Amino acid sequence: MKNRPIKKFIFALSLVAFLSGIFAAGVSASSSKKGKDGELGTLHASMGITCAQCHENVKKPAAVPMLKCVGCHGPTEKLAAKTAHVKPRNPHENRHYGTEADCNLCHHQHKKSVNFCLPCHQRFDFVVP
Amino acid sequence: MSKDNSQDEKGMDQYTEDVLERGISRRSFLSRTALGAAGVGLLGLGSVTAKNAEAADSSKEFAKSSDGGATLNFMPKPKPIAAKDIKTTLTFDVIVVGAGASGVPAALSAAENGAKVAVIQKHPMPVSQGNTGSGIVLATSDKAGIEALVAKLMNDNNHRCNPALLRQWAYNSGEAVSWVIDRAKKGGSPVVDQGSAPQRGIRTVNGYTVNYVTSFFGPKPYTTGDGMRALAKTAEKAGVQFFFNMPAQQLVHGKAGEVIGVIAKGRDGKYTKFLARKGVILATGDYQNNEAMCNYFIPDLKHFGRKQMDRTGDGFALAYWAGGVIEPIGHTKMLHDFDAGPASMCDMPFLSVNRKGKRFVNETVDMSLYNNYLRDAENAGHYSQVFDSNYMTQAATWPGKLVPPEGLKNYMPDDPAPKHGVFDSLVNTHVADTLEELARKLECDPATFVASVKRYNELCASRKDDDFGKPADRLIPVEKAPFYGIHRRMRISTLCSGMLVNENHQALNADGKPIKGLFVIGNLGGGFYGGVDYPLTVFGLSLGRCYTFGYMAGRHVAKL
Repeated sequence: MKNRPIKKFIFALSLVAFLSGIFAAGVSASSSKKGKDGELGTLHASMGITCAQCHENVKKPAAVPMLKCVGCHGPTEKLAAKTAHVKPRNPHENRHYGTEADCNLCHHQHKKSVNFCLPCHQRFDFVVP
Repeated sequence: MSKDNSQDEKGMDQYTEDVLERGISRRSFLSRTALGAAGVGLLGLGSVTAKNAEAADSSKEFAKSSDGGATLNFMPKPKPIAAKDIKTTLTFDVIVVGAGASGVPAALSAAENGAKVAVIQKHPMPVSQGNTGSGIVLATSDKAGIEALVAKLMNDNNHRCNPALLRQWAYNSGEAVSWVIDRAKKGGSPVVDQGSAPQRGIRTVNGYTVNYVTSFFGPKPYTTGDGMRALAKTAEKAGVQFFFNMPAQQLVHGKAGEVIGVIAKGRDGKYTKFLARKGVILATGDYQNNEAMCNYFIPDLKHFGRKQMDRTGDGFALAYWAGGVIEPIGHTKMLHDFDAGPASMCDMPFLSVNRKGKRFVNETVDMSLYNNYLRDAENAGHYSQVFDSNYMTQAATWPGKLVPPEGLKNYMPDDPAPKHGVFDSLVNTHVADTLEELARKLECDPATFVASVKRYNELCASRKDDDFGKPADRLIPVEKAPFYGIHRRMRISTLCSGMLVNENHQALNADGKPIKGLFVIGNLGGGFYGGVDYPLTVFGLSLGRCYTFGYMAGRHVAKL
């Protein structure tokens, strides 16, 4: 199965649109950890999201529970509905977790995101923002 | 279990004695280190700094190997959770930890026997794998046949299992599997009983008749996972309460050390204490995603892919710190690939080549054992079955069931037609007009592959397998285009060794005494296998055992 660049582009575009919609409210950045370009943490920071909005203890930041993600981004069922058209299949509704896979399995903030499906499903060639 | 069994064990059976002697438990470690304390001086403990000495005394923090020589840091001692951090306390009769192929049946069975039941599950929903689960129909089977099948399974298990548990499956599975089928149907599952049809090789054993009930949750992509979700609906109607996204953190103990409950953590980070009036049933499955634990118990697994996720062996740590005994090193593993090509052709002895394209085995070896030849980092479980367009006639008399070329297209990722009854992301069968092209599709080195086929064809022509000794009637050449290949990946389906239990599925401590309030079922339960690999003698034995022991343990605990 070949890549489907156009559909992937649309998927990426719809995701960016979805994210921007959420960040449009805008919160001014008081501090931001320097991240690498292309990392979601950098995108969050550029949108004015502060460290403290995700990490309860900024001095000793711990792993962020998924509840934090959905607190801003909304319920995962809605996200799954938005990506229902993605081929070869909807990454946000699967046989392993339903619509409740932990966002952090794929979408990392301070390192490159990964396609968590790929090691087993070698034709699930998703581009992960 | 049958009462006229001629092999009734008096006192402790050999299997249990052996696990008590060599298995891993808190007690065995403590007593063995006491014996070995004299040796510590030789290791130069006197010279280490205070800080190192503290680290060395990690027995309070981590589990230890049975000789006390290795710190098992994959099983950290649970940290106390303060009463103020417990948000809610709930009381039930029975708490089941884990909603899979043994946990969901256990919960429903307990509820049907009058218990108030809670299931706490790490995942957002019940999870299970596979399609087939099997039991024996007592009414239409010869007792000698059942005993012959038990003997056959003991042999498959390299005689390292607890025969009483095998017999418990043999004599109760018909009832239990039929019950699962009935209750799953009530929850909306399209499950069917395939009877004895899939059990081709064991309808007679040593000349005796055995009949089966074979539950089939399928075809794919429908699996037992969907089936257990349907069964959970029936369980909810029967009053079982499910708590999802709540991993168990630690067991709650009474004053005498008995298990009286479980503390679980919600997604909000808050703890809930579940108290159990009758017992806690652990059904948390295997540990394939716990790398350190795999390296310790089954180092062979190092380079194989994992089929499941989040199987971190949580129940092992819970049971160990409650005094339970883990079966000693040398656990049983299960590695398959029924998805790349037809399952019915997986054991057919076509030419097999490794990832590079070299023949590596006498192909009469079962697929379930192939992993042993492919453990290295380069092969990592990959091999390909290779045959030519004469296969339908030349292999017609082989055991198994051939799928004709038209049917093979359903397993070909390069064929554009929609797939049916398979995971379309996992099919991996190929066809090509030349051997070089087939090699590329199978991701082999073309030169190596072509040389292997040439050599194999020479052996076929001579009717003698000088390289691996395969019987002449299993030698068919690969010479007529188009050529076919099935690229299979042996990955870990499950690991099936676990905690020492008795016939009530109650965990035993290092003295061989039952731990009050603690029960263990499914692949977390020990004593049922013991061989290097899970045997494919009874198709669906694994799920059949999970259903049966869940059904029985749920009923037993409810009636306490």
